Amino acid sequence: MSNKPGKRYSAPLSACAAILAVIAIVSTTVAMAPVAYADQSSTDVVKSLVNPALEILNDKSSPLKDRQQKLRQLVSSDVFDYTAMARSALGLHWKDINDQQRQDFTQVFTAFLRDSYISRIQDFSVQQVNYLGASDLGDGRSEVKTTIEQPGGAAPVQVNYMLRQEGGKWQIYDVTVDNISIAANYRNQFNRVINNQGFDTLMADLKRKQQGLEDQLGTPHAHD
Amino acid sequence: MLMPKPLFLLTMLAVSSMLSGACLVAAAADAPSTSASQGSGNTTQATSANTDTTPDTDNTGLQAEEADPLEPFNSAMFTFNLKVDDYVLHPVASGYAKVLPTSAREAVGRALDNVLVIPRFANNLFQLRIPEAGGEVARFGINTTAGLLGFFDPADKWFGLKEHRDDFGLTLRYYRVPTGPYLMLPLLGPSTAADTVGLVADGFMEPLSYFVPWYVSLAAGGGQRIIEAVNYRSLHLDQFEQADRYAVDLYGAVQDAYLQQRDNRVKELKAGAD
Repeated sequence: MSNKPGKRYSAPLSACAAILAVIAIVSTTVAMAPVAYADQSSTDVVKSLVNPALEILNDKSSPLKDRQQKLRQLVSSDVFDYTAMARSALGLHWKDINDQQRQDFTQVFTAFLRDSYISRIQDFSVQQVNYLGASDLGDGRSEVKTTIEQPGGAAPVQVNYMLRQEGGKWQIYDVTVDNISIAANYRNQFNRVINNQGFDTLMADLKRKQQGLEDQLGTPHAHD
Repeated sequence: MLMPKPLFLLTMLAVSSMLSGACLVAAAADAPSTSASQGSGNTTQATSANTDTTPDTDNTGLQAEEADPLEPFNSAMFTFNLKVDDYVLHPVASGYAKVLPTSAREAVGRALDNVLVIPRFANNLFQLRIPEAGGEVARFGINTTAGLLGFFDPADKWFGLKEHRDDFGLTLRYYRVPTGPYLMLPLLGPSTAADTVGLVADGFMEPLSYFVPWYVSLAAGGGQRIIEAVNYRSLHLDQFEQADRYAVDLYGAVQDAYLQQRDNRVKELKAGAD
């Protein structure tokens, strides 16, 4: 009989202990997570890229060269996961090339994407960017939808950013323009060039294109 | 006078669509740059099996290669279309743009779009999108009258009735008919085997061909196509320049943009969006 009270309380007690343990584990995990994980949503990360870019573009008081330099710094930050983009754009061919080639390709493709992005946002006469929210794609991935309002009543351009979270940090691995995936589009192009003419030709073509974009950025556009 | 209908339609398509192909090429080529053609709508699925590019999974992207057995033909037609654009369409569209202001050309575009209501209505119906099909009829009624023959779009402005783009190629995709190989049509631009069948089917719905002799509707259809092509190109004059600036392989860029665009549209249709 004397045992009974003890037995009666043992179940609730162990349940309490379990709950406490869970709380302890959860709170430690949360505390250990990087600040970015807790604070920054995928939308915030995109805003941290797009809003300063707009400011720089609209700051007509400073010379074009300076603004482009600032933009280049901005898009060089680790908001973009350039390695993932390079890998994705090569698709299966990534496996066929050696480390040195991968490095070279990633470097050239990064420069190309950077200049393309700057050139494109310069071309969109951006009036306003609307953030339409983010949707969870699973596997720690998120899609942030934006529209860019165009002047003169032209239909807004839909630009969506695909982000992936790793180590608590959101990084952009693809951008879609009017729902056309840029990574997939380049993958089709690169696949054709490699299959028809080989990897070296692709590298040469890509370098030439990147140089062309860079030169073009150096000369003021009509809309500036 | 009584040419067999399919043959007649094919002839009409082939001959009458002079120049509009380059225009379609332009539309697809433009997609990765500054397309204003499909800015509306807030679609929920921008990723597909094709575009889904998780960095750590090896996404092959080789579908396009497999889907392009007609590449030698396509490549030749692509070059041909670019030349037609270069030597004929672009110069004509530039001249036209100089004499007519943008707003007027946009109104012309709306009017030309307005008369193509029947394929939009029918294909929305085929996909059992009944409200959308009804919306197309209402739009046509409102815009033809209050919108002064479709030059204006009060159906959207006053009643919020949006256009529901649709065609028979999309209906085929909607019901999972395989698209067949990618096909670059001379003058008409990027397509697939199924989309080409769709073009012919939509051509059957052209009402004029049932009421007037074939040579009249042929001329009318041809004239309409030419005006459409010139008008569209005049509103997107720097399109190729834009596309070419960012493309390493223009053929591949256009091909992928076209296929992604069609895939996206049918997903929107299935999701009941737009």
